[in-house]
Amino acid sequence: MIFETNDHGNPVFTGIHPLLVELLRAVALDPWERCPEGSERLLPSPGEDEDLRLDWEDHVQSELRRHFDSERAVVAGDLERMTTPVALNEKGGEEDGASLEIPLAHADAWLTTLNALRLALVGEHGFTEADLSHESLPDLSDARGIALMQVNFYAFIQECLVRCLDGEGGEGGA
Amino acid sequence: MANPDLLESPETDLAEALDLPWLVVVHNDPVNLMSYVSMVFRRIFGWTRERAEQHMMEVHVKGRSVVWSGGREQAELYVQQLHTYLLLATLEKSS
Repeated sequence: MIFETNDHGNPVFTGIHPLLVELLRAVALDPWERCPEGSERLLPSPGEDEDLRLDWEDHVQSELRRHFDSERAVVAGDLERMTTPVALNEKGGEEDGASLEIPLAHADAWLTTLNALRLALVGEHGFTEADLSHESLPDLSDARGIALMQVNFYAFIQECLVRCLDGEGGEGGA
Repeated sequence: MANPDLLESPETDLAEALDLPWLVVVHNDPVNLMSYVSMVFRRIFGWTRERAEQHMMEVHVKGRSVVWSGGREQAELYVQQLHTYLLLATLEKSS
């Protein structure tokens, strides 16, 4: 998969492997449904003050939840426009992977949504800092390994988006 | 006549009497990317890249960083903004 910015300054990912396409589509799923236990981290307590905590539950957390849902809807719309290869190349094989353009104005929505799902997955599977910094490919024969791959893949997308928002643009691959 | 509220929460009332500031604290978590945390600090607090990275590193190395102190209302707003970006932030009374 190749990352670059186009003439409009939008991040573009091309040559996306079918497995990664599936992981991208999973970004649009509700983390509260996917990872009910891990999703507790998405609405943290503001501190130990009991009055503040109750006030937070009543007012802030519902607003945050609506915000996360709204950002996820933006991401889902971008994913619907992801192009998947339908044509055959000269050798009769499929064209190389899907491509996804993310409007720079949607980068925040993507960062929030990717972060939410990463946090939920880490909470659900109990990944440690050591797990997350392990550079070798995880064991994809079980759900935990696939989840770790998701967390790392989404981190790569996030890094690309932060670079774009910082005006660094650039290119890279995964 | 003694005020029963004062007797029930002497520490809180003492702190209020001393007008101690509230602290906005960001805690480490293994998930949020360093570049992302630094970007969020710059956006919310209007910091330079250098200052944002100093606080980000403090969170990463020491486990927490006090990113703001002052009145409670503004501190709550900052914590809410940090939660919007999914950073682990809390509000603490300065001691």
